[in-house]
Amino acid sequence: MSIGRDEVLHVARLAELDVPAQDVEGLVGQIGRIVDYVAQLNQVPAGEQAAKFEAGPPVVALREDVPGAVPLARGPESFAPEFRDGFFLVPRLGSMEAE
Amino acid sequence: MTTWETVIGLEVHVQQGTRTKMFCGCLSSFGDPPNTNICPTCLGLPGALPVPNAEAIRLAVRGALALGATVHPVSVFARKNYFYPDLPKGYQISQFDRPLATGGSVQFESPARGTVVCSITRLHVEEDAGKSLHDRYPGRTAVDLNRAGTPLAEIVSGPDLRSPAEARAYLVALKQILVYAGVSDCSMEKGTLRVDANLSIRPAGQSALGTKTEIKNMNSFANVERALTAERERQVALLESGGRVEQVTLLFNAATGVVRPTRSKEESHDYRYFPDPDLPPLVLDAAFIDAQRKALPELPDARRARFAEAYGVSAYHAQELTNDRRVADYFEAAVKAGAEPKSVVGWVLGEVMAGYNASGQFKWTPARLAELIAASKDGRVSHQAAKQIFDYVLQAEPGEYTVTGIAAKLGLVQVQDTGALEGWVDEVLSAFPGEVARFRGGEAKLIGFFVGQVMKKSGGKADPKGVTPILQKKLRS
Amino acid sequence: MSGVGAQAEKVEAGKVSAAESARDVADRLKLAEARGLNATLYWSEAMLAAEARRVDALRASGVALPLAGVPIALKDNIVTTDAPTTCGSRILEGYRSPYDATVVSRLRAAGALIAAKTNLDEFAMGSSTEHSAYGRVLHPLDPERVPGGSSGGSAALVGAGVVAAALGSETGGSVRQPASFCGIVGVKPTYGRVSRFGLVAFGSSLDCVSVFGRTVDDAARVLAVIAGQDARDATTVAQLPLELQPVPGSLTGLRIGMPKEYFPADLDAGVRAGVDRAAAALRALGAELVPVSLPHTAYAVPTYYVLAPAEAASNLARFDGARYGVRRVGPAGDLPSLYRATRGAGFGPEVRRRILVGTYVLSAGYYDAYYAKAQQVRNLIAADFSTAFGAGGVDLLLTPTTPTPAFRAGEKTSDPVSMYLADIFVSAVSLAGLPALSLPSGRSDGLPVGVQLVAPAFGEARMLAVAAALEAAMDATGEVR
Repeated sequence: MSIGRDEVLHVARLAELDVPAQDVEGLVGQIGRIVDYVAQLNQVPAGEQAAKFEAGPPVVALREDVPGAVPLARGPESFAPEFRDGFFLVPRLGSMEAE
Repeated sequence: MTTWETVIGLEVHVQQGTRTKMFCGCLSSFGDPPNTNICPTCLGLPGALPVPNAEAIRLAVRGALALGATVHPVSVFARKNYFYPDLPKGYQISQFDRPLATGGSVQFESPARGTVVCSITRLHVEEDAGKSLHDRYPGRTAVDLNRAGTPLAEIVSGPDLRSPAEARAYLVALKQILVYAGVSDCSMEKGTLRVDANLSIRPAGQSALGTKTEIKNMNSFANVERALTAERERQVALLESGGRVEQVTLLFNAATGVVRPTRSKEESHDYRYFPDPDLPPLVLDAAFIDAQRKALPELPDARRARFAEAYGVSAYHAQELTNDRRVADYFEAAVKAGAEPKSVVGWVLGEVMAGYNASGQFKWTPARLAELIAASKDGRVSHQAAKQIFDYVLQAEPGEYTVTGIAAKLGLVQVQDTGALEGWVDEVLSAFPGEVARFRGGEAKLIGFFVGQVMKKSGGKADPKGVTPILQKKLRS
Repeated sequence: MSGVGAQAEKVEAGKVSAAESARDVADRLKLAEARGLNATLYWSEAMLAAEARRVDALRASGVALPLAGVPIALKDNIVTTDAPTTCGSRILEGYRSPYDATVVSRLRAAGALIAAKTNLDEFAMGSSTEHSAYGRVLHPLDPERVPGGSSGGSAALVGAGVVAAALGSETGGSVRQPASFCGIVGVKPTYGRVSRFGLVAFGSSLDCVSVFGRTVDDAARVLAVIAGQDARDATTVAQLPLELQPVPGSLTGLRIGMPKEYFPADLDAGVRAGVDRAAAALRALGAELVPVSLPHTAYAVPTYYVLAPAEAASNLARFDGARYGVRRVGPAGDLPSLYRATRGAGFGPEVRRRILVGTYVLSAGYYDAYYAKAQQVRNLIAADFSTAFGAGGVDLLLTPTTPTPAFRAGEKTSDPVSMYLADIFVSAVSLAGLPALSLPSGRSDGLPVGVQLVAPAFGEARMLAVAAALEAAMDATGEVR
């Protein structure tokens, strides 16, 4: 199997996703199955190349520097889980403390 | 006893001077009430999409050209994925392996080794994150997303700086170039310029680089120098006591002057960059890039050199005059209005700068200054009087002032009429026969006494330059 | 229930009022609820009444309304200010968007009534609508079976005759596949044809707002209204308005390719019979059917299941309980425990799997082997279609839409990959950004089967015209074998 428990847990940390202990083994099996399935792409030789496919326009259209934001029908206090004095509030950084 | 060489590289983020944000039409402004310049895009609401700001790109291109970098006609926006409260989408739109520009350099004077050319590795465009306030509410972080999405140009230098003082000099030079070019106001106070520094040390003569640390949270150029000095000392002490430098991120504390490691775990810096599928490639044609080349003003180095050559301005004065592009423009306009460069230098670096620093404007137009200088030179007003006239306008209400008008109003017009001057001279010579005799007896220094007396008699109005020859003539006869 | 065109005509002519139209659809929505279809996540008589009043005001202003009084249901990953948008997830339970999707504004400007928000696989990830946090949707003809996914709720409403048209979204076939299962028309436009502003992103380089209709004409009329470049979506393409062509009486001169990779020997007999019937009808109309090859077809599903999860992992990072949506905090009470508990509890198992796979294929050391590799293969897949439409000289492709008719609920949920294989005939088209549609070709043991038409980029007009001709020539409810 190409992916193991440690890697799945590492990726879960990168994705900030709690995995309950009882789910870990089953999840590792499923992720492994998917990763093994998509690995068949390696059968396509690296030398087999085609023109780069660009979904959408080939060049990004730029917008002029004119004020005009998409208006909000309701302010952030209407959808924020915690909002005070105009600020979004989240729990303290704790183990994530950086700057 | 090892001699240590310091190796410093700087990552500078400048905010382009646009009206709106990088990917949405919200105002990009400073100091507004929290979360008032927001929209679905910069809030990262479900379903929202980014659309790039043409002016932010133009200014970044202009900045790249001003730094002598190569602007790439095709560059790609990429997502830098990580979690932080002021990063609403959980990723920052930036550029990764195909940046807007690479190459370029910044030249500056190093205190230790003369002229240094510091290389620039790359310049790319990205959006800023919002602001997190950790101490406002206990147990909480407060997030203001007004700044989220404002445009940034990130400029990465090569590891070419060799001391904290050089880092500071580099920053001064870089700021000057970007301000001249109109890219950004580069103000650390307003947060439109931010610096992250990387520092490592190695034994002198070794070519391999030592382990570098990253220092953040410096809010002025002076503090950049202090922080790097502190970090260098820390690394030297560590290595000399047999320890190893760990690759950590450190925060500078301005109050204590100490750098300390952040408490975040270093393991999660896997940003998983990939091209942003919401943004097709950024393709700039030759006309777009040329327009920015044409919009570049004469940059500081070139201007200093030209001032020295065309106007005979000394290197020191040229530096002073060109620190602020508006001052340099003023100086040149005054010279072009006919004033003699050396006099203009004195006036601009003195009285004009004082007024400009106080009020942020020039109350005297360059043409009027030229007129004032001419009046002082040809004796219509004394040099003292010229200063008084200058100050008068600084304090006065805005309006149309002429030099002669004010001089007359303040009674400062110098009398140059020989008839009047002769009259005063005669009066003084008659009043001081003793001194006249002494002068004729050989005390040539008394000429100063007589000039002073004529000035007194004339109420300060006599033009001393005209008085002296008349005195000479009458005393000798 | 009238089709889209007929209903709009009646309302424009004043024969039926918008309010009446609203009451009729409300009655049908109530019946669907009573049946336990579970196709809708939100609808209300008050909202319908407000929509009707809005239409009346528009009519009074005299502007032309191609969708006057026509009720349209919206998949619940299209944001609306007047109704919640949950994306079929707990993490957005009760979320009220403060802005409307562009497609919603365009529908309203054309006089449509927004009828309901429909059920879907969570965050559009799935092929059966069994992965909704709000329960599965029943197949309109057989409650034991799935309607397909991820746009199962919209498909079921159209299939059950509640609305004549509905919006869904496609990332890897999520409208064509349920259309085939439910015996209705499902149209995916060219990527960049329709604005994604306000479509909650799953796979950004693949996502397309798409249309269900009872008939080709129903779907085409709605597509023409929502299509068009949008300054708020940098991935939309400058384009001429989509002008619907009259239904041709003859298809002489049309060359239609049938790619051999889409006709494995073990293809379901009913599905095969449906394609055969469509091919015969096309020939009878004068079209020439030729064999073609799309050699990289077998790699489409694995390519899709690298690229779509990668984009999804990034797109779903914003759901963290900080600024909107549901919030949960773990025992440590700090920020990481906010993120982990909110996301751990808020995302269902399929979404969790895809976020983990997507994070993995982008992570340090694996990007080249998976993500970059999948991009390379995507280029090859897109090139296969370009060749077929170019040097290959075909105007359209004809294929089955799904490998089987609708499967039973629970049949494919134990193995994620077996669910993914339901998309073998629709994924490649998504990767190539091409327009395509599914059209009912008949019934197999009472269950609908469908055929797929694929067109070159921005070739919707001809594709729809040919589809309409084909539709007229076939009996969609007749047994195929």
